[in-house]
Amino acid sequence: MSTTASFDRVSKKYGRATALWPTTLSLRPGVVGLLGPNGAGKTTMLRLLSTSLPPSAGRITVVGFDVTESHTNRVEARRRIGYCPQEVTFPRGMTAFAFLDYIAVLKEWKDSRTRHQEVRRVLDLVHLEDRGSMKVSKLSGGQRRRLAIAQALIGSPALLILDEPTTGLDPEQRASLRGLLSGLAGTVLISTHQTEDVSALCDRVLVIDAGAICFDGTVPELLATAAGRVHIGPTASVCAVQTWKTGTGLVRSVGGQPAPDSFVIDPSVEDAYLLLRPDRRTTQGVNQ
Amino acid sequence: MSWHVHAPLWEAYAAGRLDPAAEASVEAHITRCPECRGAARAVVAPAVAEAVWTDVRATISRPSVPVPVRVLRRMGVREDDLVVVSAADSLLVPWAVAVGFALVCACVVGLADLGAATRDAVFMALTPLVPVLAVVASYDALDPLRELAAPTPYSKLRLALLRASATLSVAVPAALAVGLLVPNMEDLAFVWLAPSLGLTVGALVLLTWFEAWVAGGLVAAAWVTFVVALRTGGDVDVLVSPVAQVAFVTGALLFAVALVLRTSTLRIQGGDL
Repeated sequence: MSTTASFDRVSKKYGRATALWPTTLSLRPGVVGLLGPNGAGKTTMLRLLSTSLPPSAGRITVVGFDVTESHTNRVEARRRIGYCPQEVTFPRGMTAFAFLDYIAVLKEWKDSRTRHQEVRRVLDLVHLEDRGSMKVSKLSGGQRRRLAIAQALIGSPALLILDEPTTGLDPEQRASLRGLLSGLAGTVLISTHQTEDVSALCDRVLVIDAGAICFDGTVPELLATAAGRVHIGPTASVCAVQTWKTGTGLVRSVGGQPAPDSFVIDPSVEDAYLLLRPDRRTTQGVNQ
Repeated sequence: MSWHVHAPLWEAYAAGRLDPAAEASVEAHITRCPECRGAARAVVAPAVAEAVWTDVRATISRPSVPVPVRVLRRMGVREDDLVVVSAADSLLVPWAVAVGFALVCACVVGLADLGAATRDAVFMALTPLVPVLAVVASYDALDPLRELAAPTPYSKLRLALLRASATLSVAVPAALAVGLLVPNMEDLAFVWLAPSLGLTVGALVLLTWFEAWVAGGLVAAAWVTFVVALRTGGDVDVLVSPVAQVAFVTGALLFAVALVLRTSTLRIQGGDL
């Protein structure tokens, strides 16, 4: 499979603070999940890839264009990128259709007839087909989130970058979004805190912590890192990364030394993610 | 949906036997109910129903166009450029700022009990800022979309100039009206244009670094300080001299070059241009 985008020793600093340490990776068609705690560098990485932010060092290539080389290359790359930031503040008084129409113009859809068709297509994709004439301020939070995703879908980009796309969506809307994203032909990079979205949707998982990629692999490979390290029993494991009492009254422990009367259970993506960051050890509501 | 259009109702609707209220009710319902739109295909030929439905959706979802934008369309401005300049109510605020600030200028210059020299200084301090503040307001109105606009291929320089031009179409006449309508200001009615041009292009350059109102505030503060210093040192008539006018136009050209360089080669917050 061809490479859609790549980082070659890309780093980003804000003043003296390093948001992203030198990183090398390549993205191919499919859905890639980017997991990491707040402040880990997820948004910085997505903004670098979207060409919204210049790197401090290194080379970024999108669909064959080295975006760090020239303005012309960045424009070419931008014709193939769809980007949905974590938070979108909509202008006062805009309707959903007018908002998408405006973004479509910025994406060089000049002919009004085909542009309006494209706007209606993406409204349909996110199930807002009957909300086009409504002012954005009248839409619910979930509808506004879907509208923000719709603008990223304009033009069927080869590289779709979504920062926390499922925030504010109810379970049905999240499932619908998964169906939509899984059917796209290009590369989809999703930053998320929702580990269930990753396990349900992603071909590949990147875990970033403190500005560095600490895991890069498939969901089964991520789960394999936690195999045999998640236990359930009457008492918590010693020095577990996380423990909590489940609805059955038994204590689920992620990592640590298992208690003698506990037994191993299959890990979830969340367990594996927690075990990649063992220094964040907390225990709530359970006596060890 | 709490109800659906049943078969007898469809037959009556298709035959035109419904009263206007019932007919409107059915039509309002099918715009929101995919199930009934599907059922409509049994009554109307599918191709016809789909074409009608597409047209209906296109018509009701198309954004309404403000009158000034319709005027621009008749003047031959491209359709996609109109979308940029008329994005929602983004022009209404800058136009209001332009007219409002022009009125303030007119009131201060025309009504305040000032000596002739001070009145001229106040006029030259405030009037050139009308277009500047209007352009800044037009930026502020669309600033929320800056992060979405940054990774698009559209030329940000073109975006900036389109917005500025649309704003100036109201701001410049409003400021001209101050000079032409306020008594005794006829001599200065046009001489503010050159400094205003320089200040406006300078503000556009600053907008590549700063938030909208910071850029506008810096330009306004610098200009007012400059005029106050001139008034303190003597008279502001020097601003009217041909040398000063040429200097302002030259400054505007230099700022324009800086703007082109800044927007084509450098990177700004939220993305390079």
